[in-house]
Amino acid sequence: MYSFEFAKPKTIDEAVAALAGEEAQALGGGQTLLPTMKQRLAAPATLVSLNSIPEMIGVCVNDAGHVCIGGATPHAVVAREAAAHYPALAALAGHIGDPAVRNRGTIGGSLANNDPSACYPAAALGSGAVIKTNTRDIAADDYFLGMFETALNEGEIITEVRFPVPQKVNYQKFVQPASRFALVGVFVAKYADGVRVAVTGASSDGVFRWAEAEAALNADFSKAAIDALSPPEGTMISDLHGTDAYRAHLVKVMTGRAVAAA
Amino acid sequence: MSKFGTSQPVTRLEDTRFLTGKGRYVDDIAPAHALHAFVFRSTAAHGVITALDVSEAREAPGVHLILTAADLAEAGLKNAMKYSPVKNGDGSRPPLPARPILAEGRVRFVGEPVAFVVAETLAEAKDAAELIVLELDDRPAKLDIAPGGEVLHEVAPDNVAYDFAMGDAAATEAALAGAAHVVTHTSHDNRVIVNSMEPRGCYAEPEGERIHLAVNGQGVWGTKGELAKWLGWPEDRVRVTNPDVGGGFGMKGMNYPENLLVAQAARMLGHPVRWMGERTESMLSDNGGRDLIVTTTLGFDAELRLVAFRTDSLSNMGAYPSNFGMNIQSSLYSKVLTGTYDVQTYHFRNRGIYTSTTQIDAYRGAGRPEAIYALERAMDFAARELGVDPLELRRRNFIARAQFPYRSATGELYDVGDFHRVLARAEACADLAGFAERRAASEAEGKLRGLGLCYYIESILGDPSETATIEITQTGAKVYVGTQSNGQGHETVYAQLLHDQTGLPLDSIEIVQGDSDLIAHGGGTGGSRSVTVQGMAMRATAETLITGLTAFLAEDMDRADIAFDAEEGVFRAPGSNVVVTLIEAAGRARAAGRGDLVQVTETQTLPGRSYPNGCHITELEIDRDTGVVRIDRYTVVDDFGNLMNPRLAEGQVHGGVVQGIGQALTEHVVFDAEGQLLTATFMDYGMPRADDTPFIAFYTEAVPSTANPLGMKGCGEAGTVGALAAVANAVQDALWPLGLRQVDMPFTPARVWEMLQHAERIAAE
Repeated sequence: MYSFEFAKPKTIDEAVAALAGEEAQALGGGQTLLPTMKQRLAAPATLVSLNSIPEMIGVCVNDAGHVCIGGATPHAVVAREAAAHYPALAALAGHIGDPAVRNRGTIGGSLANNDPSACYPAAALGSGAVIKTNTRDIAADDYFLGMFETALNEGEIITEVRFPVPQKVNYQKFVQPASRFALVGVFVAKYADGVRVAVTGASSDGVFRWAEAEAALNADFSKAAIDALSPPEGTMISDLHGTDAYRAHLVKVMTGRAVAAA
Repeated sequence: MSKFGTSQPVTRLEDTRFLTGKGRYVDDIAPAHALHAFVFRSTAAHGVITALDVSEAREAPGVHLILTAADLAEAGLKNAMKYSPVKNGDGSRPPLPARPILAEGRVRFVGEPVAFVVAETLAEAKDAAELIVLELDDRPAKLDIAPGGEVLHEVAPDNVAYDFAMGDAAATEAALAGAAHVVTHTSHDNRVIVNSMEPRGCYAEPEGERIHLAVNGQGVWGTKGELAKWLGWPEDRVRVTNPDVGGGFGMKGMNYPENLLVAQAARMLGHPVRWMGERTESMLSDNGGRDLIVTTTLGFDAELRLVAFRTDSLSNMGAYPSNFGMNIQSSLYSKVLTGTYDVQTYHFRNRGIYTSTTQIDAYRGAGRPEAIYALERAMDFAARELGVDPLELRRRNFIARAQFPYRSATGELYDVGDFHRVLARAEACADLAGFAERRAASEAEGKLRGLGLCYYIESILGDPSETATIEITQTGAKVYVGTQSNGQGHETVYAQLLHDQTGLPLDSIEIVQGDSDLIAHGGGTGGSRSVTVQGMAMRATAETLITGLTAFLAEDMDRADIAFDAEEGVFRAPGSNVVVTLIEAAGRARAAGRGDLVQVTETQTLPGRSYPNGCHITELEIDRDTGVVRIDRYTVVDDFGNLMNPRLAEGQVHGGVVQGIGQALTEHVVFDAEGQLLTATFMDYGMPRADDTPFIAFYTEAVPSTANPLGMKGCGEAGTVGALAAVANAVQDALWPLGLRQVDMPFTPARVWEMLQHAERIAAE
């Protein structure tokens, strides 16, 4: 790890100001950033911790019935405090990494990083969540732009994420045996205005909506509805943990299991 | 026998220390002012060094010293690690390439040490390393375990390290030609990275004219001898210590370049120097394990009794011969080549192959898990091919109880054994009778269920001699041992043994290990040797101690009938109220100038080896949709002879089985075509976790060994030896009905799914 300055703002405004500095980097839970820095693969001049900003931490339900989660809320808090309002989201948060990861890692950090194997992107896209930043609201459909790519601008901070609560929902994670990240994770959510199927882990473009499955499930919300479908093989990741064909197969299997369990 | 003595399930005395952060591991106890070392390593798998320039790095802030191969030469030090060669089958010597301490002329694997940087802080050492210029003329990597390919060592142009052979090739060929049935099976025993919880580390400090090297090893004397020889010093100028060690598994059983370099740096600088491996660094530079391809040919007569046995294997050496790298898959493998089966006509050939990967050496079991894996896969395969129950085929070929002591084909003298009895117990404990019902239940859920059996035998290795010194102090006893606990619980077992003979409370007994200044000789830990040989030496020492003190008291108190009561730990004279505690007796002897009676040393040599054996039965389910293998039931019946501490023995089995399950299911080493290790962190290398592991039902059927006075059999490696084939045979059993005849570890979900896809293609044809 190289030397760096450390800033610990108490408000969003202070954080925005600190991030305007040269080579400043926002720090959520640091679950990706800190190992990268330890390997000397990242060298920010200043780390701006977002973990001491009270207005960015916590879980609540707004007047529209949406579950609102502060951007700096750790996974363990979501697992605990969202359980009564959005159990599937709480369960997803409660199965990210291990207890140490869940007590440090944050929802904002996960969504800003947009790791192609992370769980939260599937929940946000599958729920049609709104990602609120210090400057604007971004619909999940407009937010995820590819592996490690998002609509966030330089210095923009995720302050809150708002999740509409579906009628039926389930997340199925098939873990990569070593990291326990999602080798394939499928988030299926049925809303009054339609079904959303978000897939993480599988695609080299990062999290995506499986449109054919959504159409089929809109017509018939059952496992049988997707039996005849084939996920798009061409864009799947192929690595030592599974070929693109295996991942495509798992997308279908996990989608079916999510529908059955929803 | 008291509740704290041998054969009692005493809880581990050392665990309070370990679990409350009071363990003394090498990185905890390095001198605070020690300089920090960082190893600059090759990032290429194979290349000719065209330039190595450390001049800018030498000028970097905080840097005290940088060592390269050229610097070692300038200091008059030989740039070569020691290793133990084998002979070729024809009696000739194989080529013996040098294994450099720091790369010289060429790099041959990713992670090979190139330069050693010593600076005030670790950050400064790393900063300086970034200024080192290493230019390479890249060469292709050599990765397949087969003769030929890109040449790594000019002395071994076909990359064959050695060509080992035992047995009678012509007689075996003739017996196979005349056999009623011949079955051939090939298996790949996959490579593993050892991943001890505590990575390798060491520090060295000058002590006057001497050097003290502290290293987390498996014994101090080999390292001491090698370091003294390398430095050109008499041995008494070198002190080596092993503090608490967080797992060794054979991987820490030998010397490494860093140990020598830390000592040389401390010597040159006149200042302590410390080095601690990081995880990825360890994965790249620790000796790897396994990685061999074995073809086993079995010849049976019409009654399905073995008449001939042939093994032909290719094993990966890595880039260089490591300490025992040439011995593991050749001579050590041969110890249990034919396992528990009665067959005398055999031939065994093993060729070591150089590849541009990290060197491979001992890993828990060191050759014996590999031999049993290939054998038990082949026996299981033969049973299926020949249409006989796998248990029945084994029963027909077991060495019968009446045949003991039995000289095996490869020369081992098995002292005792009752394989039929152990197998029968396992069959009952694992409820094989209920398997068909459980399989039907799995199938009803769309899952495959398989049952796998492995009957293993182990041969205990390591130095057959050991010394113990017992000193009675004013509060209890100190025992100086030549073995080295790496976490197994030696302190507890040794205290139990001494308690049995002296009545001293367990917490008054201090075990001293791992200091070459305090203990003259010892064999360290390895080959499941420790408790058998150290226990025997302790027993003899305690007898000498008690005999000496009894004679002294008899004379001192003028009571010829005085005798020691081991249960109470006191000397008594019958018909009197004379009671002298052991500590009081020692005090009297000391006061009388008889210190020689209070500190006693004995050395003992085992009359023979013990042969732990047993049966592992695995039952597992395979999810046909995902390829996930889940172990449902796991049963072990072991013959460890007399158990010294049943709780610790069972713990050794649990740990060994989980390491076996890890290799079979989750641990997958992957190199890319350029020789880069793709599984160099725990994000990609799958260590087995608690939820990969079933509850392990453990039973014993003891046939006490006649080869040592304790009647015990070493148990440290047995779990691993049995686990590999038990799991793999269960996967084979589950997939056999689909037409799959070749299944190799590791059974990761992706690989099993590929096998299932292959089965669908078979079905479609």
